[in-house]
Amino acid sequence: MSLKYGVLGLLTGEPLHGYEVKNRFEAMLGGTWEVNIGQIYTTLQRLERDGLVRPAGPRGDRGKQTYELSAEGRQALEHWLAEPDSGPQTLHEDIYVKLLLATRIANGDLQPLLARQKRAYLQRLRDLNRLEERARRDGRIDLARLVRGALLHTEADLKWIDELSSGRTTETEAPR
Amino acid sequence: MNELVRMVDVTKVYQGGITGALNGVSLSVDSGEFTAIMGPSGSGKSTMLNLIAGLDRPTSGAVTVGGTDLARLGETGLARFRRDHVGFVFQFFYLLPNLTALENVLIPSQLKGTSATVRARDLMHTLGIADIADRFPARLSGGQQQRVAIARALINRPTLLLADEPTGALDTHSGEQVMDLLGQLNRDGQTILLVTHDAKLATRYAARVLSVVDGEIVDDARLETAERAAAEIIRVRGEEASR
Repeated sequence: MSLKYGVLGLLTGEPLHGYEVKNRFEAMLGGTWEVNIGQIYTTLQRLERDGLVRPAGPRGDRGKQTYELSAEGRQALEHWLAEPDSGPQTLHEDIYVKLLLATRIANGDLQPLLARQKRAYLQRLRDLNRLEERARRDGRIDLARLVRGALLHTEADLKWIDELSSGRTTETEAPR
Repeated sequence: MNELVRMVDVTKVYQGGITGALNGVSLSVDSGEFTAIMGPSGSGKSTMLNLIAGLDRPTSGAVTVGGTDLARLGETGLARFRRDHVGFVFQFFYLLPNLTALENVLIPSQLKGTSATVRARDLMHTLGIADIADRFPARLSGGQQQRVAIARALINRPTLLLADEPTGALDTHSGEQVMDLLGQLNRDGQTILLVTHDAKLATRYAARVLSVVDGEIVDDARLETAERAAAEIIRVRGEEASR
């Protein structure tokens, strides 16, 4: 639900119309999340329906409607910001399923899979390093923090691959 | 690119079960490369560096640096090879406490019988330590001491700079400064072999990462340096509003 709250958050500053919301949202995310304008309009309509935003004045030129945050919207946003992320961890990358399948087929030999994955993680680490440098150079400390989080995650992924490669967690027999 | 370092089927056996043995390592490094050697402690990565530096001899196999087969050199020849061709930076800086920073930097050139005070001062300027030239090591921070050690390693214009965990004894900020300096030296053409256990540092500066496990090179990854758009590197995605 972060798009919804992202839109609410952007509207705390000043009233915005759909394209401004889209542009500011994407700029805030530093290009790591692209949204189409349709999603923004749908989100704004739902927020209006739920009373969290309201139109700020009449439509402007070319029918542009600006929206502002309602008191309920501000409350919902503050509540969301204060809540820790406590849902299940999402492992959405293919490697997790590949690992489980490779344990069952290919006689449980994981080494080729792990070696290729390790290279991919090393490359990702290099790319993330450059992205972090770029963010700092651009004065985007907030974005650099986000990249730093991704870097640490990738370091953990590498450690995991090294642990699997060294056999410490692969010595048990493959399940049936 | 010219091949600068070649190891062919190198083994190193230590008596008494000391870790760090090598088990048939072959490797080629071109001049101008920045290569990181990664692996768990005791995997043999420092042994590789010591053999390339001529600080130690292999049990079998050949180590060639700049066309010179190190096995053909006697102890004197090996010492001369190290002095003229290899700069070594260690985790602990090994500065002589009774010499000033400048005097420490000058040691290798004095062993060579040359006077290099101008170059030493230039190097210290480049490395940002010109103002502490006359201080003794005890009055320098860890980062400053490591930069003095780097200047000392570079004073004889080595063809090869070897660094064994050069940031291991430094805080994060000083470590990054030292690594930035190594990165700059490499951009200026210096060949560098870096032993580290820090994957973030390795991939940030080195375009090639060797993984060493149990005395063998298990992976040799050459990384791309192309600039990528943020969305090709990270996707931040929450769930979109569905109701």
